[in-house]
Amino acid sequence: MALLEVVRLYKTFGPHYALSDVHFDIMPGEVHGLVGENGAGKSTFIKIVTGVYAPDSGKLVWQGNPVAIPGPDAARRLGINVVHQDRHLIPSFTGYENLFLGLDYPRKAAGMRVDWKAMRSRAKRMAEEFGVALDMSKPAAHMSPPEKTMLEILRAMMLDCKLLILDEPTASLTDREAERLFMLIRQLTEQGTAVLYVSHRMEEILRLSDRITVFQNGRSMATVGRPEASKDRLITLMSSAGAMKSQALVKAVQVGEPLLEAKGLSTTDGKVRDIDLTVRQGEIVGLFGLAGSGRTELLETLYGLRDKAGGEVRFRGRRVAAASPRDSLDQGVVLIPEERKRDALVMDMTIRENMTLPVLKRFSGWWKMRRKAELAEARRWMEDLKVKAAGPEQTVGELSGGNQQKVVFARALLSSPVLFLCDEPTQAVDVMTREEIHRLLRDQADQGCGVLFVSSDLQEVLDISDRLYVLHGSRIAAELDNRDVTPEQVLAICYSQGKESELRHG
Amino acid sequence: MVETTRRGFASIRFLRTYGTVVAGLLIVLVFAVLSPDSFASLDNAINISRQISFLVIIALGATLVMSVGEFDLSVGAVASFGGVLSAKMAVAGYPIPICMLAPLAASLIIGFVNGWIVTRFRVLSFITTLAMGTILGGLNFKLTGGATVFENIPDSFRYLGQTEWGGLPLLSFLMLFMTVLFWYVMAHTPFGRKLYAIGGNESASRIAGVHVARNKNAAFALCAMLAALTGVLMASRLGSAHPTAGDGMFLSAYAAAFLGMTSFKEGIPNIWGTFVGAAIIGILANGLTILEVPTYMQDVITGCIVISAVLSQKLGRERKR
Repeated sequence: MALLEVVRLYKTFGPHYALSDVHFDIMPGEVHGLVGENGAGKSTFIKIVTGVYAPDSGKLVWQGNPVAIPGPDAARRLGINVVHQDRHLIPSFTGYENLFLGLDYPRKAAGMRVDWKAMRSRAKRMAEEFGVALDMSKPAAHMSPPEKTMLEILRAMMLDCKLLILDEPTASLTDREAERLFMLIRQLTEQGTAVLYVSHRMEEILRLSDRITVFQNGRSMATVGRPEASKDRLITLMSSAGAMKSQALVKAVQVGEPLLEAKGLSTTDGKVRDIDLTVRQGEIVGLFGLAGSGRTELLETLYGLRDKAGGEVRFRGRRVAAASPRDSLDQGVVLIPEERKRDALVMDMTIRENMTLPVLKRFSGWWKMRRKAELAEARRWMEDLKVKAAGPEQTVGELSGGNQQKVVFARALLSSPVLFLCDEPTQAVDVMTREEIHRLLRDQADQGCGVLFVSSDLQEVLDISDRLYVLHGSRIAAELDNRDVTPEQVLAICYSQGKESELRHG
Repeated sequence: MVETTRRGFASIRFLRTYGTVVAGLLIVLVFAVLSPDSFASLDNAINISRQISFLVIIALGATLVMSVGEFDLSVGAVASFGGVLSAKMAVAGYPIPICMLAPLAASLIIGFVNGWIVTRFRVLSFITTLAMGTILGGLNFKLTGGATVFENIPDSFRYLGQTEWGGLPLLSFLMLFMTVLFWYVMAHTPFGRKLYAIGGNESASRIAGVHVARNKNAAFALCAMLAALTGVLMASRLGSAHPTAGDGMFLSAYAAAFLGMTSFKEGIPNIWGTFVGAAIIGILANGLTILEVPTYMQDVITGCIVISAVLSQKLGRERKR
């Protein structure tokens, strides 16, 4: 009997299907791989199984009985636990304190004092049972990444855990560290725990999994046994049906002078390594990479938000020493940040105030703001970009996502930019706005601007770019002229780079 | 039916924006009824305007720092320091204008150091300014030996604090001037816009090219300067300076600023709101004293009013959703 059977699961967010007709099953004691591109629905699925979201329709059958999982607590009681890539540990707590987080601490007879001794010995027994060599009295902050992962897995095992979901568990581990984790996973499955292993790393998936389920665009495409699985087969299943070739508007791009040239660019934190890249006038350059490949960090470094450790950046042939956002703006470089709420807009302020924030000087003497000129300018841009709002004095926080993004673009255009650094500029906006943003960027490129375009939607990158770079492990893995490039090709680059780059800096 | 609901919403909106002002007027009305002779007289109104001038000026500074999303807990100690320094300099025989201005310059530096520690090393402003306040508190005792400075202070030292123009205290004019000045700065200059932007979203402001650290430092510096000015004016008013004279002002200053956040610009520190907040606190103190309510009860009442103002605003917002 299957441990968990997923039957025709559907989930929508607004007009989009996040999950559509998802069905597969997980057997007790197996390692079940789950793969799919960014946004294929893996996270949504995990959230449904752990009770964070409720599905719109479909059912989950747990050990033969249909179950509802109304919340994370219910999932834990059933025996479903998840270990995320962003760790949920309290840094200042020791290993065993973290182990008991959310559980009742063992008490001494009177019921008041915590029985630390019992806690420690229980923690020690857990570690021994699963063959984990880990100093439990060390604070989590002093543990290495794999130790933290192990600790989280042990915590999941504190309650009777039948299904353990590991979400990109090796993302921050080196090969040797990952081996320790794999040993632990084998231990768990021998004891009958099923593991749902979610990862971008094909080698791991192919090595560990008994069976592998592939998601594509919210659908479960197939479940294949390990003997029949190969990297090529999985990648074909993952990439969008109809093998849409790049639809980049076939036009003779009048590529001009290089606007931006980076050579050997690196940051101190290693999120950007040895990047060589060029953006010329009149072209849209795509930048694709899987989650954590350093896309955002690269844009932030170019914009002057991160400290450079090495390499150089030239803008219109002139070397840029230590840029700050102000310098970048003054030179005509604008950043459309990924996190609109966090990094782009001041939600309490009006449309007008948000639009003119980078160019206040233009609307002021040394002392007084010229509000009329400011208002007129804001109105003009609202009309130009068709921002739907009560007027320039409406608070930005009251607008829809698409209209907020238009305000972000209007602000960018106000500083007469020559280079756009766009980080997921169409994320969480409606289809119409998405089209408008694409058109706007194309227009700007036609007028001689350069655009560096990051998206985790591969199809979008292929549709809009003239040329594209594929990022992997903070480095550029490939540069492709966007002619007849297929999603398979790009994904193959993303997934095949795994091992070598790991060895190079592991 | 639709009409009444709409009117209902409009009145809620009005109360959310001007509720604190209305409450302030109600307080005035209550005191005027209870004590028609002493409270509701022109003399007392002038008296109140003088009494609140110190609180208004120090609270303006607190408002500036709050508008960038930080706190300056050293304002009380800086005020004491300002008074002590100017009085000591007057005793030492420096020209009076210098005695008044030197503390302002010194406090600009103190405030800048506050800001620098906060922005450069990312230390919480709470901790930084608490420590700075403690340091200055100690320094104030060192400068005065713990005693009030009052001997050998020339009469002209009292000019700012005691002069009246046409029956109105110079202090009241100064308070109004400062309020209008900083209202203008916050509402109509690029600097004010940047401060509000930083307070609204620091990360977005940085990406939009605002020099976050520089502007925050300026806010801290101006805040300290206003605090020192308060101390100087208090010393000038009394003709003496006590090492802890301004310390108690710090809580009232923030009470005023928080009361102010409940009026005009909902939830956002703003200059006229702070003015109203400080006025309410001052009027309460004055009216309750006239009614011979003991000081400790005044504190209880003031605290209750701050809490209920903030609560009533929260309730109004929940009904909106």
